[in-house]
Amino acid sequence: MVINFFKIAWRNLLRNKSFSFINISGLAIGMAAAILILLWIQHEVSYDNFHEKKDRLYQVWNRYTTEGETGCWNNTPKPMALAISQDYPEIERAVRVNFLPPVKIALGDKQFYGRGRIVDSSFLEVFTFPFVKGNAATALNDVSSIVLTEKLSQSIFGDEDPVGKILKLDNADNFKVSAVVKTPPANSQFEFEFLLSWSYMRMKGWDDTNWLNNSVATYVLLKKNSSLASIEPKIKTLRKKYDKDDPKIETFLYPMSRWHLYGSFENGKESGGRIEIVRLFGIIAAFILLIACINFMNLSTARSEKRAKEVGIRKVVGARKKSLVFQFLGESVLLAFVAGIFAFIIVELALPSFNKLVDKKLFIDFSNPPFWLAAFAFVVITGILAGSYPAAYLSSFRPVSVLKGSLKAVNALITPRKVLVIAQFSFAIILIIATIIVRQQIQKAQDRQAGYAKDNLVYHFTEGESAKNYTLIKNELLASGTAVSVTMTSAPVTEGWSNTWTLEWRGKDPKDRTVINRFCADDAVTKTLGLQLVAGRDFDLKSFPTDSNAALLNESAVKSMGFKEPLGQIIKDMGQDWHVVGVIKDFIINSPYHPLEPMFIAGANGWFNVIHIKLNGKNPTGKNIASLKSIFKKYNPEYEINYRFADEEYGKKFSGEKRTSTLATLFTLLTIVISCLGLFGLSSYMAENRIKEIGVRKVLGASVSNITILLSKDFLKLVLLSFVIAMPFAYWAMHAWLQNFPYRVSIQWWVFALAGLSAVFIALFTVSFQAIKAAIVNPVKSLRTE
Amino acid sequence: MIRITHLEKVYRTDEVETVALNKLTIEVKEGEFVAIMGPSGCGKSTLLNILGLLDDPDSGSFMFNGIEVAKFNERKRADLRKRNIGFVFQSFNLIDELTVFENVELPLIYTGVKAAERKKRVEAVLDKMQIMHRRNHYPQQLSGGQQQRVAVARAVVNNPKLILADEPTGNLDSSNGNEVMQLLTDLNEQGTTIIMVTHSEHDARYSHRIIRMLDGQTVLENIMV
Repeated sequence: MVINFFKIAWRNLLRNKSFSFINISGLAIGMAAAILILLWIQHEVSYDNFHEKKDRLYQVWNRYTTEGETGCWNNTPKPMALAISQDYPEIERAVRVNFLPPVKIALGDKQFYGRGRIVDSSFLEVFTFPFVKGNAATALNDVSSIVLTEKLSQSIFGDEDPVGKILKLDNADNFKVSAVVKTPPANSQFEFEFLLSWSYMRMKGWDDTNWLNNSVATYVLLKKNSSLASIEPKIKTLRKKYDKDDPKIETFLYPMSRWHLYGSFENGKESGGRIEIVRLFGIIAAFILLIACINFMNLSTARSEKRAKEVGIRKVVGARKKSLVFQFLGESVLLAFVAGIFAFIIVELALPSFNKLVDKKLFIDFSNPPFWLAAFAFVVITGILAGSYPAAYLSSFRPVSVLKGSLKAVNALITPRKVLVIAQFSFAIILIIATIIVRQQIQKAQDRQAGYAKDNLVYHFTEGESAKNYTLIKNELLASGTAVSVTMTSAPVTEGWSNTWTLEWRGKDPKDRTVINRFCADDAVTKTLGLQLVAGRDFDLKSFPTDSNAALLNESAVKSMGFKEPLGQIIKDMGQDWHVVGVIKDFIINSPYHPLEPMFIAGANGWFNVIHIKLNGKNPTGKNIASLKSIFKKYNPEYEINYRFADEEYGKKFSGEKRTSTLATLFTLLTIVISCLGLFGLSSYMAENRIKEIGVRKVLGASVSNITILLSKDFLKLVLLSFVIAMPFAYWAMHAWLQNFPYRVSIQWWVFALAGLSAVFIALFTVSFQAIKAAIVNPVKSLRTE
Repeated sequence: MIRITHLEKVYRTDEVETVALNKLTIEVKEGEFVAIMGPSGCGKSTLLNILGLLDDPDSGSFMFNGIEVAKFNERKRADLRKRNIGFVFQSFNLIDELTVFENVELPLIYTGVKAAERKKRVEAVLDKMQIMHRRNHYPQQLSGGQQQRVAVARAVVNNPKLILADEPTGNLDSSNGNEVMQLLTDLNEQGTTIIMVTHSEHDARYSHRIIRMLDGQTVLENIMV
């Protein structure tokens, strides 16, 4: 019986080639899109899943409430780990991790860069990073031990055995390779390339017992029989005992399973995080698949008249409803199976581009048995989903009526098929509206004035000798005509590195906790960055040597501090008095989606990490860069120059939203393509079923356009209804999305109009093809077929 | 074999009520060949559908082999039908996607006959119907007469006690029609009960008895000699 079913299913597939093509391609595209998203979701939800002790691992977090606002952060003081392991018997281990910026690694003359972590020696016992060479017990025992990942070892040593070899870090200290661990997978929080022992922190004098300095991550491993519930109330008040300054800060443990997907807190409460995106994409995947399944349902039921006779005969010769349901489900599963093969081919072809798009390294592990199981389940579920309604519909035909040929397409007010078309188009319209608004929002942020001149502005981090030789470098850059202005700053102009509410000035309300961005610049900062002065003057050390403790404020800061006359005011910060010499217009240092924030720029007595260089616009950029390289090479010979263009860095602020926009566009197009495939198929069946009617109408004098309008009208009504349904959903969803951006577009009515019109146009275009085709047939021919 | 008493069937739409069968009483004995005749709309097709357990009456009694089946549910009717009744239609009603062999095999599949046995029985009946050489053809590749022979083969492959034929020659020319009528006669002579709806006096003469219907009632019975 099963063989008979598949035989007839296969023949149906081959016989109705256009139907099969539309169904399989629609289903394959839908499945491929869903698979891509599922791969991404699988990647997201499997973060740090590979740690054997993952169920017992927690990160130490802090919670502090002031002025009714609760903030949470995960950096801890260095002595936290020791205090925890001393005071709480439930804890098996406490491990500290200190993040290092990318650092130069030298093997003889060869230079490499690597991202490292300084960790307590039990790090490799607590977390699961399998050893390729060496072992956990001895890997980090020595102050000069370095553990490399397989990848870094490969790039430095090639296939040689690195153990025992000496590497020089940051031109300063020598380390001996003690072990090699497997490179952490992409779905891990721990993106290190090498590990150093905590004893190195002590040797460098970087370790401290200061409870005010929250600068390292602390992780704990709970003992096997301990529960979080038992330790939670006790650990909450840990700081009471140790932290004399902030005894009220609460301590809590945050489980590993939530680090990646959640890990975002709002006023002391977990507030979603990545899980929201994962859910959103999950919903999108489900919808795209559903839309593809709806195509199948629509086309299968539209063809019902052709299958009705078969159903009738089978019932007459003894088939029960159950066996017919089984037969039709079998057919849809077979179809889903064929579509599934195509879908996986599409996925394999699309993965490289998709990976670029989402900035991941997703892949299908074909050697993995669970993959095959999941793929099989996916195909079967899709087939059953797609076949459920047609199976129920077709198997319920009564043989008496179908064999007599009295089964006629009923033009009922609401048929399930219409509902399905409306569902498809509603979703498509929602996506069109969402895509337009996402693009608008990005455009608005991109069009926003940054407040400084990004052109010809490059910056360079002060590595090696470049800080010491800064004056020489600056003079030569200016003298050679490479640059028109050079300024050393605390942070890149595109990144706010420091902020505080502890600035003091005369007349400050003691309760004022307004956070002010802190930035330092040695000289001529408005000239180099192209800031706009509103009052006073730029830093000018040559004319005013006291400018080393001068300060600039932006307009928001002046307003927030309440100065009527800002020039000459004294601001206390970092144990110094800074006198305000100028006021600048606000510029964007953090997010272009946020309102402009108050900023305080301290003079040459501040701290410095970055050299900003305004290149000479009269020279070609290539020439400037060549000259820049040679000057840095001269004064900082041990280091490769590592400059960045401010406009490129600024552009990166949009990458996340651009990705959202590209994905939204992609899924919108897919949805439209799949929906149109369905509509195309549906309209062809409609036209086929009305061949006689069309013939009669033409004989009676209807024109081609009359007929085309007649056939298109019904579909148009459905699309318009979809529009009415989609509008409120789209408005609600996009309104909620825009709340993420304090600087945002308002939703305009024409976006809806445009989306509605595009949907109508697309539907009309799809349907009219079949309608015109049916309308131009010679009526003699269509009437003869009776 | 069949006894229906006071059978009623009324079709209702929003505005019109059509009485298809009006307290109809008929008896058909085992081994009989009965023709049902009457003008269009007299209820003969409705009667055939009810006899074939494809439709149920509104009221009245339908005894099939001594069992009351008027109130059987869909599943029970299907079971009874597939074991006891074969159908021949005016428009053949073969499945276009299946070959001649597969079409004839279908009833055996649904009664759960094993594959080897199915092959034997299908081939035997195709042989009998002289259509064996066409076993791997699809219905569209056959003439009308051949298609109807396939349909008859399908109707008898399960050795039903009763064959219901709904204008079996309606779509055939006279020579093909005569051939089909001869097939039915042969089957009847081998013991199969046959009830046939027809418009053709010529075909009706093959039967033992003609029941003439009008407005859902029998008006006349002719016994053929």
